[in-house]
Amino acid sequence: MIRSLGLAALVAAAPMGAAAHQLVVFASVDCESVVVEAKFSNGRVAQQGDVRVLDGENTLQSELTLEEDGTARVPLDSVDHSGGLVIEVDTGGHDNYWILTPEDIARKCGS
Amino acid sequence: MRKLIVWTCLAIGLATGALAQDKPRVVAVNYPLHYFAERILGDAVEVAFPVPEGVDPSFWRPSISDISDIQSADLILLNGAGFAAWIDRVSLPRSKIVNTSAGFKDSYIATETITHSHGDGGEHSHEGTATYTWLDPDLAALQAESIATAAVARGLVAEADIAPRLAALRAELEALDAEATAAVADLQDTILIATHPRYQYFARAYGVTIRSLEWEAGAAPTADQLATLEALATETGARVLIWESQPPAEALEATAALGLRNVVFDPLANTVPGTDLLRAYSDSLTALSDVPRN
Repeated sequence: MIRSLGLAALVAAAPMGAAAHQLVVFASVDCESVVVEAKFSNGRVAQQGDVRVLDGENTLQSELTLEEDGTARVPLDSVDHSGGLVIEVDTGGHDNYWILTPEDIARKCGS
Repeated sequence: MRKLIVWTCLAIGLATGALAQDKPRVVAVNYPLHYFAERILGDAVEVAFPVPEGVDPSFWRPSISDISDIQSADLILLNGAGFAAWIDRVSLPRSKIVNTSAGFKDSYIATETITHSHGDGGEHSHEGTATYTWLDPDLAALQAESIATAAVARGLVAEADIAPRLAALRAELEALDAEATAAVADLQDTILIATHPRYQYFARAYGVTIRSLEWEAGAAPTADQLATLEALATETGARVLIWESQPPAEALEATAALGLRNVVFDPLANTVPGTDLLRAYSDSLTALSDVPRN
């Protein structure tokens, strides 16, 4: 049974007056390319940012920049994706990543 | 005759190997869930915790092969409450995910962390949720029950097999709860300071006030950090400093020189060599039971 919370001394909750956001990175595969999307958790599109594509051995495969709509497209034939890919996005103040396993890539290509 | 023995041994070996491979595989995102799953599910299931020893599972960055292994598990035990940032950076099969704290989502504790500014975004903060839910043994028991329910629902184990083990674990968590209640029985009027904000659920469960700093685990504090600590201790009258892991000796000397009693209370997100979850928690309670009261 969960103890009554009414008696609790809530010391951690704090007012949240300031705007809050984190960078959210997502990458999907459409068989021809990896589509990277980056936006902040408040919904705002990340209009600028560096995108780094690394392979399964953490070797840099490609570098590009985000488009104004917060996306970037990485042609699959331009990178070695056999061991999966890690997509890193850095907007200068925030950064985050997305991992695509070989299974993720194969699944989206129907192979 | 010898040939028969060899073939028999080979057959047994192959069968054992096949059985090992055929065991359902469960992956946990932190040590408490790993501990609960091993206790409840027993030998019928292989329980994995992929985060290396000494690495904070909250901030662990998995490799691609780690994620491939996790994706192929039969059950993926998440802590919920925002624990383990990596889970939002990968695709996990929804049918295999269990959020072990989903049943008490309404009891999550909101936090606010860093406020900063950069670019054209102006000053803003990153709020979140306190994640160390298992430090409230009542919530830990609910998480353990969630594991048992999910494993049975997915046919990984039989309910009759795990019911006694779940009951035993629940009893030990109740004993831990009683021990914690006794350890902090007269600490409600005493403010404690922690080097890191890890103890929100513990503080709420036992009516203890813990003010938190943001020191790096296991590192010696800087002069500025010590000055901040001294000011906070003066402001609150706190005489106890809680560390999440054993700090260097010079750090202990520096804080003791401020008149603070040092207590190590590992929040146990990862394993602690030479002990287990409940024993380590109990040791921390023993240390807390002895701190000076206001």
